[in-house]
Amino acid sequence: MKHFKETLYDAVCQEYRVDKLYFESKTEHQHLMIFHNAQLGRVMTLDGVVQTTEADEFIYHEMLAHVPILAHGKVKRVLIIGGGDGGMLREVLKHPIEQVTQVEIDQAVVDMAIEHLPNHSAGAYDDPRLNLVIANGFDFVKNTANSRDSKFDVIISDSTDPIGPGEVLFSEDFYAYAKACLNDNGILVTQNGVPFFQEDEVQNTARRMQPHFKDRRFYCAPIPTYYGGFMTFAWGTDNLNAISVSPETLEKQLEQLNLATRYYNAGIHQAAFALPEYIRSAVARA
Amino acid sequence: MNTIGGHDTRPLRCAPDSTLEAFYRALIAQHGSPLLVFDKAILRQKFRALQSALPGVELYYAVKAHPDQHIIEVINQLGGGFDVASAGEMDLLLEHKVSGRRTIHTHPIKKDQEIRDALRFGATTFVVDNLHELRKLVPYRSRVGVLLRVSFRSSSAKVDLSKKFGCAPNEVFDLVSNAEALGIHIKGLSFHVGSQCLDASKHVEAINECANLIKTINQGASRPLSVLDIGGGFPADYELTGLDIDAFCAPIRSALASLPSDWHIIAEPGRYLIAPAVTSITTVTGLSRRGGYQWYYLDDGVYGSFSGQIFDHAVYPLQIFKTGAPVASIIAGPTCDSIDVIAEDILMPELEIGDLVMGLQMGAYTAATKTRFNSIPDAKLIVVDSREQSAK
Repeated sequence: MKHFKETLYDAVCQEYRVDKLYFESKTEHQHLMIFHNAQLGRVMTLDGVVQTTEADEFIYHEMLAHVPILAHGKVKRVLIIGGGDGGMLREVLKHPIEQVTQVEIDQAVVDMAIEHLPNHSAGAYDDPRLNLVIANGFDFVKNTANSRDSKFDVIISDSTDPIGPGEVLFSEDFYAYAKACLNDNGILVTQNGVPFFQEDEVQNTARRMQPHFKDRRFYCAPIPTYYGGFMTFAWGTDNLNAISVSPETLEKQLEQLNLATRYYNAGIHQAAFALPEYIRSAVARA
Repeated sequence: MNTIGGHDTRPLRCAPDSTLEAFYRALIAQHGSPLLVFDKAILRQKFRALQSALPGVELYYAVKAHPDQHIIEVINQLGGGFDVASAGEMDLLLEHKVSGRRTIHTHPIKKDQEIRDALRFGATTFVVDNLHELRKLVPYRSRVGVLLRVSFRSSSAKVDLSKKFGCAPNEVFDLVSNAEALGIHIKGLSFHVGSQCLDASKHVEAINECANLIKTINQGASRPLSVLDIGGGFPADYELTGLDIDAFCAPIRSALASLPSDWHIIAEPGRYLIAPAVTSITTVTGLSRRGGYQWYYLDDGVYGSFSGQIFDHAVYPLQIFKTGAPVASIIAGPTCDSIDVIAEDILMPELEIGDLVMGLQMGAYTAATKTRFNSIPDAKLIVVDSREQSAK
């Protein structure tokens, strides 16, 4: 395949030139590729959908990692569901946390990413604070919710699309179990699609999360290769102070950290919760 | 069938051809009998012939006609698209890394899981013919483009595909406005006039009717329809009369020429492309003289490669490498069932055990519908490329 054509939408599609194919695997129902593109660096695709590119992954990973961790302010334990490419882990480990548990369904994804997308994890998989669990993310939160195991301050769901292996991570049961895996002030964030093209997705999540969190909302950022404008991230917590963390507090925290971010900053943190009207009204109609 | 004298009037070629016979015998020596021999060169030639007979029409090979990976590989190399109807067919395409953008999912009736599988594979074009099916697409409405299948019955087609699927032309307007209300975009119409059509008159009628429907809808549509899927129905040459596909398609060409140039015209050929590219090779394994007939028992029959004689109502031309006085004969398959007869009361030169009997035009709906009856092994598909062979 000399060109990759995304298959998300019938009437429009983005096309990438494949400059060098690094990795390709096709199992019975799954087709994964990692290739180089002159404009975007290394690109990973799954089942005809762009998952991540070296050029713009920073926006996505910074916004899912730093927003909840800094809003919470005292994070010690983080849970990442999915995120096999390691980019989320890399960003989370920039914080002085005690432990991060990452639950990935397939060890092969981690191994493949370390080999073919090395800049994503950038050594993060060697960090002693990591507890890597190879398991189904849904089963993991279900079992943890029903156990006496330690809970988490932040849970990040870095999943694939709802059509495909990530389907259960968008179910109401998942949100309920995730909630039960959070400490009192804990925050759940999830990737939630591009509502300009996938309005149903943000509405489904709004409905399914609503019963389980006192504060359920969305924030957003534009990730160029998740074509269609803003991507939304779902936010669920019973910690009503998390949303109103002041710019001064954020600035002070950022000064003590060395996040070296390229998208996230204190201003973006606050601004990201302001939703464009088409997204705000879609959520309101859910 | 009481009088003996050749009621089976299918084409039968009886002539020695030592080169061809030696070639087939060598294949059998290597791979066993029975076989299906797929000649890639013929498929390439038919694909190009149909492309030039229908310029500007995108061709989607109907995978169901013969879901084989070697056949898919050739269509893929030619840049053709694929018409699929199941997850199994999509898995075959995945083997060759065919992009979902080059496929259309054409089964009008689907389970939710089948829709999800198709979307994961990357097929975003779906076909529906009623409101129940439209509703199933609501959760995926931002991603899909829908073709509405309209039914036009063809009296000349051997297999009538409008009996089971397709809405009546007068239902189209309601379905389009229902879809609009559900937030689903109907991007065009499709039809199937039937399989193995004798002429293109029904295609032309359906093209004209669909064009009128689309034009009427587009007068008030916020999202215009722009796709017309003219289905299949392009015939195979079962009579060996030297079918001229260009002449067959001439009326279709002129009907399409009058359509707006910004419409997308697509077709789903299966039989025309693949039927002539596959030859069945069987061996006479038994002889008998019964009820005045010479009986021949072959190692393949209607439960195997000749299953199309039951399911597809096809009658395949036969070829033998013998000449001689015609004898009233019956050619039967290898299973224990008495329905397993390939040719009843056919006049042909006498054969011996070990002689070859070839079935011609046997690429479409043959192996695709074979059964496992009697646990008799399948005919293996052997790939040859006559262009390469003649070049050697």
